[in-house]
Amino acid sequence: MTGGVWGPSGAGTFRGAPVSAAAGGHTVSPYAAAFAAAAGRVLRRPGELAVRLLFYTVILVVFAALWSAAAAATGGHVAGYSAAALLWYVTVAEAAVVATKPRLIEDIGVDIGTGAVATEMLRPVSVLWLRLASELGEAAVRLAMALAIGTAFTWAVGGAPPARAGALLALPSAVLAVAANLAAQHAFAGAAFWLSDAKATWFLYQKLVFLLGGMLLPLQLFPAWLERVAWVLPFWTMAYAPARLTAGSPPQPWLLAAQAAWLVVLAGAAAVVFAAGERHLEVAGG
Amino acid sequence: MPAVEVDGLGKVFRGGGPRRRPVEAVRDITFVVEPGERVAYIGPNGAGKSTSIKMLTGILHPTRGSARVLGLTPWTQRRELARRIGVLFGQRSQLWFELPPRQSFALLGRIYGLDRRTTAARVEELGALLDSGDLFDVPVRSLSLGQRMRCELVATMLHAPQVLFLDEPTIGMDLVAKQRFRELVVWLNRERQTTVFLTSHDVSDVEQVARRVIVINGGTIIYDDRVAAMRRSVLSTKLIEVRFEEPPAGGSLDFDGLRVLRESGTEYKLVVDTRRRSIRDVLDTLLDTERVADISVVDPPLEDVIARIYGAQP
Repeated sequence: MTGGVWGPSGAGTFRGAPVSAAAGGHTVSPYAAAFAAAAGRVLRRPGELAVRLLFYTVILVVFAALWSAAAAATGGHVAGYSAAALLWYVTVAEAAVVATKPRLIEDIGVDIGTGAVATEMLRPVSVLWLRLASELGEAAVRLAMALAIGTAFTWAVGGAPPARAGALLALPSAVLAVAANLAAQHAFAGAAFWLSDAKATWFLYQKLVFLLGGMLLPLQLFPAWLERVAWVLPFWTMAYAPARLTAGSPPQPWLLAAQAAWLVVLAGAAAVVFAAGERHLEVAGG
Repeated sequence: MPAVEVDGLGKVFRGGGPRRRPVEAVRDITFVVEPGERVAYIGPNGAGKSTSIKMLTGILHPTRGSARVLGLTPWTQRRELARRIGVLFGQRSQLWFELPPRQSFALLGRIYGLDRRTTAARVEELGALLDSGDLFDVPVRSLSLGQRMRCELVATMLHAPQVLFLDEPTIGMDLVAKQRFRELVVWLNRERQTTVFLTSHDVSDVEQVARRVIVINGGTIIYDDRVAAMRRSVLSTKLIEVRFEEPPAGGSLDFDGLRVLRESGTEYKLVVDTRRRSIRDVLDTLLDTERVADISVVDPPLEDVIARIYGAQP
């Protein structure tokens, strides 16, 4: 072996500067690298991806029939949405939610509760940001696939998106929705630093996204008091926002800015929870 | 500057609930490890080994005391320290199971700020050294434990750490894999002056890797000396393995300070209490009174020595 790649002093890394001595080529941000590696991992599991997309397609088929029947029964529109608009709504809202792992909170909780997160704490980067980058990488692939399939299906069944101007904003909005969802899941899962488990948190969170996130139906269909509650909480940023931009009228571009603001808040909350949790971590034994 | 400097370090786990009492895992431990040392940090289950390592690597915050690793306080400068130390937990993986190790190494290289060329060169060198290069393109989940641990060591060494913390690194490995692993750790220490801080329940890890041993029990350090000195200072016995040309006269070997541990025909294994009788005296007596075909004097097994130390109360 030669000492060339190990530092200027070859043998004796204690005297050298092993990392900073690495020269030549260029370095990529560890978070960008984690994003790219995670995206590649999803493509390496085509079976899992196919099952998820099949499930997504089944939901679209069911809702296409459901909303057609509902709209027909109410004079062609439901709360101002046509049957086609409702189908586009569900297409985008479901795609944003299906892009994230269904049991991510539970998985993070297991990693924290079993102490596996300790291995990640030994790296010279943020545990939280590396995890988020990695989850975003996986979610980006799933989102792209789901939107491609959903768009093709819904266009064929219901025609072009009813709000074309708003639909242009739907893609960045969907990305923000996924990012906000992931940040919120990490903030919730951080409870495992104290509770050693995140199962209860996962159950609660999932129901909140399904219901108050507007994943299955627009917030306007809620009773007034529930709609007010939904608007106060962040879950509408995770499904409703991109769906409303695609299907609703008139266009509401401010939704995008509100999503970005919520993303900052949720990511900040996750950062605070993880920082406190890492200080609190108690892992006995090997 | 010492590689590791620990002063009065202690950790109490709070217990998590009204019914669970706080547990004092580590109590006021103090020691210094100089650069380039190979130290075994051993103790029975629950002694506080892993908790100590987790404090020294910044994962756990201590309840009291101080520690410096390469001049840094681990729990407040964790990320800075992470660039300069390598940690290998035998029961945890730092590789991504869905990926072949080579891709995990590439990602780890970026996490440690290495450019692609340097990462690739180091992976190639370590692969050649470990004779593991052919494993690097197989998904981690398809590797045997021994194969995976070799890849884990590559991942641990990729950023050329100055201190290597190894927590039960050979657990579950077969004999050949263990031997290769130990040789590599010693090689890294000799060639790169990498300080090695090892915990293991495998006595051979201690014998073949470490030159110094620190024993912790009940959260307290109860022994700290060179491995070579350990047998002499702890056990005052030697073993004699002897083969006679014919059975001993009278059919027994009944000397003061000598005990027969095992006999089989003309072959005997004897224990000498050197506080009561010198080895030279025993050898002279045997050679004078019996027809000896072959004889050798060996130290007692390190397991016995360590068991004796573990038995000492903190």
